[in-house]
Amino acid sequence: MRLLTKTTLNLLSISLFIYLFGVIAFYYSLRIQVDSNVNKEMEKRKNSIVRQMEEAHSSVSQPPNRNEIVIVTPVDKAIPKDRYADTLIFNKEEQRYQLFRQLGFSETVNKQPYYIQIYKSLEETDSLIVSIITTMTALVILLIITLLIVNRYSSRLVWKVFYDTVDKVNRYDLNTHEEFTLQDSDVKEFADLNRVLLTMTERIKNDYLNLKEYTENASHEIQTPLAIINSKLELLLQSGEMSEKQYKALADAYEASIRLSKYNSTLILLAKIENKQFPESKKVSPEDIINTLLENLDDLIRSKKLEVVKRLLPDVTLLMNPYLAEMLIVNLVKNAVRHNVKGGKLIVELGESFLRISNTGPDHPVDKNLLFKRFYKSSSSPESLGLGLAIVQKICALYGFEVGYQFEGQMHCMTVNFGQNKSGTITNNGFV
Amino acid sequence: MKILIIEDEKTLSDAIVEYLDGEGHLCEVVYTFEEAVEKIELYQYDCMVVDINLPDGSGLDLIRLIKKRSITVGIIIVSARNSLDNRIEGLEIGADHYLTKPFHLAELNAHLKSIHRRISFNGSNELVLNEIKLIPEEHRAFVLDKELVLTKKEYELLLFFISNKNKIITKAGLAEHLWGDHMDAADSYDFIYTHIKNLRRELLKKGCRDYIKTIYGLGYKFDIT
Repeated sequence: MRLLTKTTLNLLSISLFIYLFGVIAFYYSLRIQVDSNVNKEMEKRKNSIVRQMEEAHSSVSQPPNRNEIVIVTPVDKAIPKDRYADTLIFNKEEQRYQLFRQLGFSETVNKQPYYIQIYKSLEETDSLIVSIITTMTALVILLIITLLIVNRYSSRLVWKVFYDTVDKVNRYDLNTHEEFTLQDSDVKEFADLNRVLLTMTERIKNDYLNLKEYTENASHEIQTPLAIINSKLELLLQSGEMSEKQYKALADAYEASIRLSKYNSTLILLAKIENKQFPESKKVSPEDIINTLLENLDDLIRSKKLEVVKRLLPDVTLLMNPYLAEMLIVNLVKNAVRHNVKGGKLIVELGESFLRISNTGPDHPVDKNLLFKRFYKSSSSPESLGLGLAIVQKICALYGFEVGYQFEGQMHCMTVNFGQNKSGTITNNGFV
Repeated sequence: MKILIIEDEKTLSDAIVEYLDGEGHLCEVVYTFEEAVEKIELYQYDCMVVDINLPDGSGLDLIRLIKKRSITVGIIIVSARNSLDNRIEGLEIGADHYLTKPFHLAELNAHLKSIHRRISFNGSNELVLNEIKLIPEEHRAFVLDKELVLTKKEYELLLFFISNKNKIITKAGLAEHLWGDHMDAADSYDFIYTHIKNLRRELLKKGCRDYIKTIYGLGYKFDIT
């Protein structure tokens, strides 16, 4: 629930509650007021009736006013006290009950006690009260509605900065190298929020850059010691007589060090792609790369007895960095060969704006979310670095290509969609 | 062959010298750009191993300097930078090979050998080792003057073995030499085994002695001792 809706609802429920009580209290206070007025009026009437009776020998002329009824009854004994009450009287003409105020009192005129009742219609005052309450209700409702609308619009204005901030934070990406700026606000809370956010992102960015720089430096610096380790181990191998056990230990160390340098150079490559350190683009022919590659992988393909199907549209060119183009295709094809089954199939399709590499493999789809993760390895090839598809994804992001995975008809398909971006321009929002 | 090694990392240059030792080369080592320029001005070398990142300059500039003075020398670049641009630039300005650190010493040695063959016989040459004769230009190999029937990979394998004779060559080094970066080491070991098996069979069939020795799980040795 939005904050605005929440506050509005609170406001609305409380004001309705208060209004309800207000109306009830108002009604009763009006009622009391009206009753006391009527009582006073009837008091006056009482005096005039008594005077009239004394003068006119106990007879009272009915008032012309339909709102008033006077009933005079001779009684044996006078009641000492006046009695006020509300009562309903059936109106024969209008066929309905009407509310009357009644005053009953006793008076002795010419030694004869009478019980006299005065009825005064409350119809008019009642309708007055109703109309007052109605008008008031209408006014209050109008007031509330106006308040709500004004509140809504002013909130929109006030909260605009906030929503802008949320949107910007949401889209914030450390990799885009874009300046992170927020709108100024004259609302203290929002200004505080923006200030805190700016400080925070600045700190995060610095930390991130430091970390990245550290990693990159470390990776570069590691290359030379690794070269030394490798060459020294290689020398050690040549040194002559060694026991099988020693050779074995040496072999393991050598393998591990080579593996480490492979990891390292791949990580450097990933970092370089991220930093857009491959700026210059040339026209490259994916077809040539694919043909050379398949030739190079001939041993692997033959050993797995793979059936290779090439459907390459001739003269397709891409404007991109030649090295990255090669890395992209090499990693996709290598992946398709490695995870293939013996006697399986490998289909390489190249169209005007897409490259699709399909291969047979395990008969269940791979988890898409894990596929492009660094160091994700399927159990079938524990020796692989697990960085191939991460490289593919980075390169695609750099050039605005779309890369997707489908599992169709027992074939695992990796599709790279070159899209509109055949110009080789590096997209700014490449890293999502 | 006289070789100048320009590499600021002393331990690494030591390792290179030690590996090349006993191959009949005369190796000199310098650690800086300045020293390298001095040496080039004073002496004549057959081959140079140049590191791109030197403390006081770029190896690429050194190569440009050499080319400007029209000095004939084989050049192998070794660099920690594995970028295509560096590689292309290096080769364009006249280097013969570009090796990325970390590299296999056997690989460096094979490249030096090929440069050596080129400069000592002006390209047209035969490589003779006991009963084996190679004509690298034509990619042909003979045993006792009978031509061997070899695939491209088997031929490359034989040449690599002969270039690094009497040395243990690791499987990883072989894999990188044969397939470059295209195949992961672990994938390629089986194929190395197959290729070696075929090569050995062909050599033996043509009457060659069995020089190829398997060293435990480690690699192979072309042992002519």
